[in-house]
Amino acid sequence: MSGASASMLAPFAAGVLILLVGAVSASTSPNALHRVAGVLAAICGSLLSLAALGMGQDVLLAGAAVALAQVIVGVALAVRLQEAYGGIEVDDIDAADAAAEPPERGE
Amino acid sequence: MMQVVLDALRAPEPAIMVLAPLIGAALTASMPGPRAAWLAATLSALVAAAAAILGANSLAKGETATGVAAFAAPLIACCAAAVVVASGALLKDFSDRAAPFALALILVMSGSWSAALHADRWIGVFLAVETASVACVGVVALSAAQDRGALNGALRLFGMSGAAAGLFLLGAGLIWWGTGAATLHGLSLAAIRAPTLTLLGVSFVLISVSLRAALAPMHGWAGAVFSRGGHAAVLAVAAINCVGALAVVLHLGAHILPAPALGAGASTLLGVLGAISVVVGSVQSIGAKNLRRLGAYAATAQAGCVLLGAALGSIAGYAAALVQLVAYAGAVVALQCAAAGAPGARANAMETMDGFGRRSPLAGAAVAAAALSFMGAPLTAGFLGRWQLMEAGIGGGAGWVAAAGVGASLAGVFYGGRLIERLYFRRASATARPAGISRVLLAPALIFGMAATAIGVAPEALLRAAAHAASGLGGPAP
Repeated sequence: MSGASASMLAPFAAGVLILLVGAVSASTSPNALHRVAGVLAAICGSLLSLAALGMGQDVLLAGAAVALAQVIVGVALAVRLQEAYGGIEVDDIDAADAAAEPPERGE
Repeated sequence: MMQVVLDALRAPEPAIMVLAPLIGAALTASMPGPRAAWLAATLSALVAAAAAILGANSLAKGETATGVAAFAAPLIACCAAAVVVASGALLKDFSDRAAPFALALILVMSGSWSAALHADRWIGVFLAVETASVACVGVVALSAAQDRGALNGALRLFGMSGAAAGLFLLGAGLIWWGTGAATLHGLSLAAIRAPTLTLLGVSFVLISVSLRAALAPMHGWAGAVFSRGGHAAVLAVAAINCVGALAVVLHLGAHILPAPALGAGASTLLGVLGAISVVVGSVQSIGAKNLRRLGAYAATAQAGCVLLGAALGSIAGYAAALVQLVAYAGAVVALQCAAAGAPGARANAMETMDGFGRRSPLAGAAVAAAALSFMGAPLTAGFLGRWQLMEAGIGGGAGWVAAAGVGASLAGVFYGGRLIERLYFRRASATARPAGISRVLLAPALIFGMAATAIGVAPEALLRAAAHAASGLGGPAP
């Protein structure tokens, strides 16, 4: 990042770190709401990095709008999971699905 | 009168392919019941498909602008029309209240992927891709009326595509910052001030969109969505979302690869992703004991072949990738439509295919055509794509690409052959119901199945269109 000041580098690096933590959480967290929070963190982290790079307001607004849409869909999904499975723990949901699926006939 | 209608469709074809589904989505969502919503959705999808066919015809004659968008947007519109028509027989996957919204989201997916292909600013591509992804999660989640497992698949898709959204945003920002170009067209001419960071941004963007196309190793969501989602949702994800995402990867690659400081790195990334997808998808397909998971993993392997062609970075390689994309779409639509119509208590179990070719000859023929295309058997679109890929690979001095294509075909013989063996050489179990497949489901399966073979028999128009589209590597002249 030639010519970048330390004041720019720190928030950029922090944003990338938040993005990575959020991405891992969004993909692997054992709780559905934590996954939603992970998605929010991933997009907010990238927005922080973009702000540090001096991106325009239109880019930041577009990112914020996508984050809002993702959170709305994610929370709605978590509510439906709670209604359908009685919980939002991914391991419990997987176990319920595995139990509901009849065993495969042999090849 | 007819000429006026044709002219009205021909003039703004890209706009119709984007706007007709989006306007149709608004109308569909406002309909009072599932049947009325399906009619509205079918009408708008057919309008977009009509514009697409006119566009494809012009492309084959070399009358339109070059570029991946001109080739792939008509393909997405035709796939969307097939999905919407087939959904008429699959509305039971959704509750009566949810069906109009699910159909509307399918149309939003189609319009958004077409918009992503036609957007020139990075931020426009980002917004279109994310709109399609959110719609995709919504469709899968709404298909939980019959099986709550669809919600589990939607959660996996949501988590991974949400993380990919952050990656895309950062990647697009890095490209913008590194090149000073806010548009795709500006990329190949831009003076890149930070090549490493820009290449990192390019990698983030390509990986992010590849995840939506279920390319390995980012296809962790595919097994859950394909095996647990409702039939209509799975069909929409496979035929619109994955095809659209693959087309956008090719479109972005066509602008990135000619950029001197980025081309080699992007080509390596596409090649690695393609090779991993071929290997992982093939191995998983061979081991799959669930019909729809087999379809998902086979599609991953075929998608890998598409990326291998693009990785060559040549016009011949890109033309091969576009032919392979058509073969992929044809096989996926035919297989998923016919599989959705297969009777049985669990329509995703492999045994539902036992004797299906005799119980329902037409639907069985569609599945057989898809399986043969996956194998790359002669006189199919899959063979044509694989042949083009090998020619381009050997001609470009990349023998490993040709070897990967052969490997994909050999693996296809195992899993495609297994499907054909079940279709025609096994007896249905005593509990199997007669195969009364709905006509609205059978029609798209047959049309796409026949296309997958007809293209292999008479490939001239497709080859001409692919070559014309690929000749604009770097995008059409502004």
